[in-house]
Amino acid sequence: MSEEKIGELKEANDVQQGRREFLKNVCVSSAAALVAAPASAGTVAEASNPDADVTVAEFFQGNFVLMSDEEKKQAIARLEKRYSAQYKKKTTVSDTAAPDDVLFGYALDISKCIGCRRCVHACVKENNQSRNNPEVQWIQVMKMPKGNIAFTAENLDKGYPEKSEFGDFGVQVGGNAYRTAGLSTEDAQNYYNDELVPDQDFFYMPVQCQQCEKPPCVKACPVRATFRDHAGVVLIDYNWCIGCRMCQLACPYHARRFNWAEPKLPAEEMNPKTHYFGNRPRMKGVMEKCTFCVQRTREGRDPACLEACPVGARKFGNLLDPESDVRRVLSTKRVFRFKEEYGTYPKFFYYIG
Amino acid sequence: MDFLHRSTNLSALALYGFIAIALSIHGIAYCEEEKHAETQSTQPVTDCFESRIGYSSVTRTENVVPEYGYPNVKCSQTTSGVLWWGDPFAGTIPMGGMPEITDETRGDFANAVVKPRTPLLTYYNIGPNGCETCHNGQIVPIPKNTKPRLIGMHQDIVENSMQLMHGHGALWCLNCHSAQNRNKLIDRQGNEFSFNQPQKLCGSCHGENYIDWRKGVHGKRIGSWKTGGKKRWWVCTECHNPHTVQKSRFNQLQPEPPPPLPRGMKNANYERAKEGQH
Ligand code: SF4
Repeated sequence: MSEEKIGELKEANDVQQGRREFLKNVCVSSAAALVAAPASAGTVAEASNPDADVTVAEFFQGNFVLMSDEEKKQAIARLEKRYSAQYKKKTTVSDTAAPDDVLFGYALDISKCIGCRRCVHACVKENNQSRNNPEVQWIQVMKMPKGNIAFTAENLDKGYPEKSEFGDFGVQVGGNAYRTAGLSTEDAQNYYNDELVPDQDFFYMPVQCQQCEKPPCVKACPVRATFRDHAGVVLIDYNWCIGCRMCQLACPYHARRFNWAEPKLPAEEMNPKTHYFGNRPRMKGVMEKCTFCVQRTREGRDPACLEACPVGARKFGNLLDPESDVRRVLSTKRVFRFKEEYGTYPKFFYYIG
Repeated sequence: MDFLHRSTNLSALALYGFIAIALSIHGIAYCEEEKHAETQSTQPVTDCFESRIGYSSVTRTENVVPEYGYPNVKCSQTTSGVLWWGDPFAGTIPMGGMPEITDETRGDFANAVVKPRTPLLTYYNIGPNGCETCHNGQIVPIPKNTKPRLIGMHQDIVENSMQLMHGHGALWCLNCHSAQNRNKLIDRQGNEFSFNQPQKLCGSCHGENYIDWRKGVHGKRIGSWKTGGKKRWWVCTECHNPHTVQKSRFNQLQPEPPPPLPRGMKNANYERAKEGQH
């Protein structure tokens, strides 16, 4: 990038900052008036409205990554207070940092997976997704016909160039022309509702955020609400997200979910152990996705989907540790990455065990 | 865009605030929430299976992790499978006594825990002496003929004992169950193992899987992802039924419900319709 451009960008940034500052001032004063009004009137009991004051402050908080420690503490205290009141139980919001010298990776055995979708629902229970209307799930299990490698050898020389009255355009028809080479999601069934699984003519491929080393979603985000932490996990600051859904478009794995409506999370179902970048309850109009259960894995525990899988098809660990489960999978099994050709370098590996 | 989004939200907030003051609508809002909660809460399933129906089950205990009021497990309302672990180590014992093989196949067993299998075995718990309550050499004599053959014994637990396919006819009960000591398993060298450690017996033939299992590549382990961390291991017979190998290595299960269809979509038949076309 040329220096001029950087200068331009900086300027734009300043303008943006200025706007925000202005808005902040206007709003704070009007908000102050708002908060002051009932106090003087003395009609509305404070307890009945536990989130009014924190919401205003939360509304104007900065990007969490750039906050000072003091600001972070305040932000977290605000959230804990609001959630505890809203869900009527003690809720903790942690901001545990990612461990050093760790690169999180995941491996999934597609020859073992039976497509039972327990991982999907474990994830919902752990990560406080909206339960119904909208029902949000971060993992999608694809049921794929076996023998899906559609590019067949006997068809190799059956193709011929298309001809028309204007001549030969060199466009192949016939043969393998309309078949994909390699694994294709074209025949995948996402909404299968079989009585029993596995169906013997199919294999199953669960897809969730692939935690790319070169995440296209991070490049697409105009406000840097989403970023890659130093353990390699792509996270979202829900409060900084403006809900533009650029990242959703950028993701080749359909891993990101948008809260089109206010999430519906029954209080007794709510998981009170949360992380700021992980499973804390989200609001309407923000993006969410798999975080490798940041609230668990940063503290050394396995992700919820791994713990639920009845066949042990899921393996999680540190890619920098040659003794870890994932590294042992990588060194002994046949492994592939999903949509490798996009150059996203996922840290989610599929293997045949 | 940023600017727009935030200002819209702000006006909504302001409106909300005013309405709250004017009507104190919050009380109403909370009531509605509670109603919603009521319709949601059905009786929780308390007896759930871990991997195979009927072979490893767990009873849901409330408040096992007191700090958050977690139960030990959360189970599926539709299939009663375990969906979520509060405490992955509830009810476990140290695995203990794993042989040290100091090549690359060595496993990491320092902090390995398992759920004991013996409390779940029907006839093991029939009397004070376990299986030997009957198989003591007198009530049921020790068979003299040890030639592998199909016998219709214990068909309530080994429902297809007349089609036993394990070893394709080369094996029968007493190749794995010790004839002299029925409370133990036995391998072909005559080593006896507890029912809690079937991996040692299975591994004596299925070496490749045993190596993978010890490495953590095969089978299920939960707990800590760290090397050397505490892990709960699943042993062979918690997932595989050694008596029904001919059926499948893993019995079929009922899946959890599918995701919601996108708004406006009536069914997902298009997914099947396109199958095999192009
Ligand atoms: S829980 Fe395991 S077996 Fe079931 S769909 Fe998920 S990965 Fe596959």
